Amino acid sequence: MALLSERDAQVVREQLSQLQKKIEIRAYLQKINCDSCPDAEAILKELSGLSDMLEVRLLNPQIEGEEAEADSVDRVPTIVVSDGENSRARFIGTPSGYEFSSLLATIIETGTEKTSLNEKSADFLGGLEDDLDIKVFVTPNCPYCPGSAVLAHRMAIASPRVTSEVIEANEFMDLSGKYEVRGVPRTVVNDRIFVEGALPEDQMIEALDKALAEGSEEQVNLMELLQADQGE
Amino acid sequence: MSRLFVPDPPGEETGSTEADVVIVGGGPAGLTAAIYTSRETLGTILLEQRQCGGLPLTTDIVENYPGFPEGITGSDLVARMKDQASRFGTEIVEFGEVERTDRENDRIVVAGSGREYQAGAVVVASGSVPKKLDVPGEEEFVGKGVSYCAVCDGPFYKDRDVAVIGCGNSGLQEGMFLLDYVRSVTFVEFLPEMTGAKILQDRLRKREGTTFLLNHALTAIEGEDFVESITVRDRETGEERKVEVSGVFIYAGFQPNTAFLQGVAELSSDGYVRTDEEMRTSAPGIFAAGDVRVKKIRQITTACSDGTIAALSASEYLRDGRSKG
Repeated sequence: MALLSERDAQVVREQLSQLQKKIEIRAYLQKINCDSCPDAEAILKELSGLSDMLEVRLLNPQIEGEEAEADSVDRVPTIVVSDGENSRARFIGTPSGYEFSSLLATIIETGTEKTSLNEKSADFLGGLEDDLDIKVFVTPNCPYCPGSAVLAHRMAIASPRVTSEVIEANEFMDLSGKYEVRGVPRTVVNDRIFVEGALPEDQMIEALDKALAEGSEEQVNLMELLQADQGE
Repeated sequence: MSRLFVPDPPGEETGSTEADVVIVGGGPAGLTAAIYTSRETLGTILLEQRQCGGLPLTTDIVENYPGFPEGITGSDLVARMKDQASRFGTEIVEFGEVERTDRENDRIVVAGSGREYQAGAVVVASGSVPKKLDVPGEEEFVGKGVSYCAVCDGPFYKDRDVAVIGCGNSGLQEGMFLLDYVRSVTFVEFLPEMTGAKILQDRLRKREGTTFLLNHALTAIEGEDFVESITVRDRETGEERKVEVSGVFIYAGFQPNTAFLQGVAELSSDGYVRTDEEMRTSAPGIFAAGDVRVKKIRQITTACSDGTIAALSASEYLRDGRSKG
């Protein structure tokens, strides 16, 4: 059975018609020890039928080891969105529910020349001197999550200094535990800068800029940083 | 698998910015208004700051919306409403926040996210967001045990003890959802009685692992790095007690999204929009519907009712050459 209604499929077709370059989705899946892989496969197969500009490759990291290594894949499902050169945005887990919209936005951002980020964000990314590793923890039923997920991916697509992973927190409780996830969305940058909830783009960039400028090795909560500024 | 959500993005160059009616908010009230104005063949643009759906998006299951005897998930219900509005021609723009409303001659301008829309009439259905209680620890522990969205965060509390603050329909319904994951739920209600539907109360009382603290006020949320306990005060005896929990889900009322209406239409002291029975606000051509209005009963069905009335009033206003309002 089709996962998308005819109307939704048409909306997705129209959105994908914006693609200016071919997009390759490398989906690392395996048949055993992966409960969510069949769902991820079904979603990506459905998506691949909606645009000629989209190529979905289903890869088994055990068999296609070299590619898996090049993509630094250490768990399944991992879904890498690539235009051939830029492969810095990826999903760890199944992009179902609201995260399907994040996947779609990520594909379009990768496949079009123009960034959706505003000028301030572009300036910030252009001035980055260090690499940023962004992890965004999400759940499929969280309507607030795509905002944070897509912002992180847009930053990664716009800047070679940024990589981003959107992680389905329920599927990977080990990562959720390691990164102390008790609510979503939770964004973690370079394993030490974090924020709970979906910050708008301007606030996210402003707070991140400040946190990086402080140059400390301590844990930084971006929300507290913003509130401290408001209190001044 | 969760239903795949497909957003309607702003139509960059092609999207229109002129309409007969602009609807602000894509919850049940706004979507119902859109169904009605579109069927009146009025050009309709609906603006939603995130994705359409409103509060039902964070509701596990809706059992009191007529026509779905087995219940329906909140997100499925509003997805159907959205499909219905689109089918009749409503142009839906998601991920666009409305920042201000102005009047220019006989047109009403709605602006935000770098775009401006003009309409002959506006229906405000911008809803409300969960209210913070401002108790010590609430802000500090957001994402560390304090949550306003059980369907988002419930699975992180598997086999733990949690508290639900507020025993209205939302609190009870989401408490029921949480019981699929957690070991126990302590329900805390400020009033002497629960206000949620009796059927939910009865079901929950039969479930193992539920405790009800009625007529109790939450006074603090405590812990080191994460929530470890809450303190509640018995409002009759004044006695305080600690309850050990890892999570606190807060469903204690809402506050309206009306910042963009300040100085434009009359609001109550707590920010809700005042309307008459025809959903007319104090500003001619601006109507309001749903949770954003001053009213007592806030249900999906009543939001739909408001949306219907607001749409037909807006239609009448446009037809009568704006002589009413």
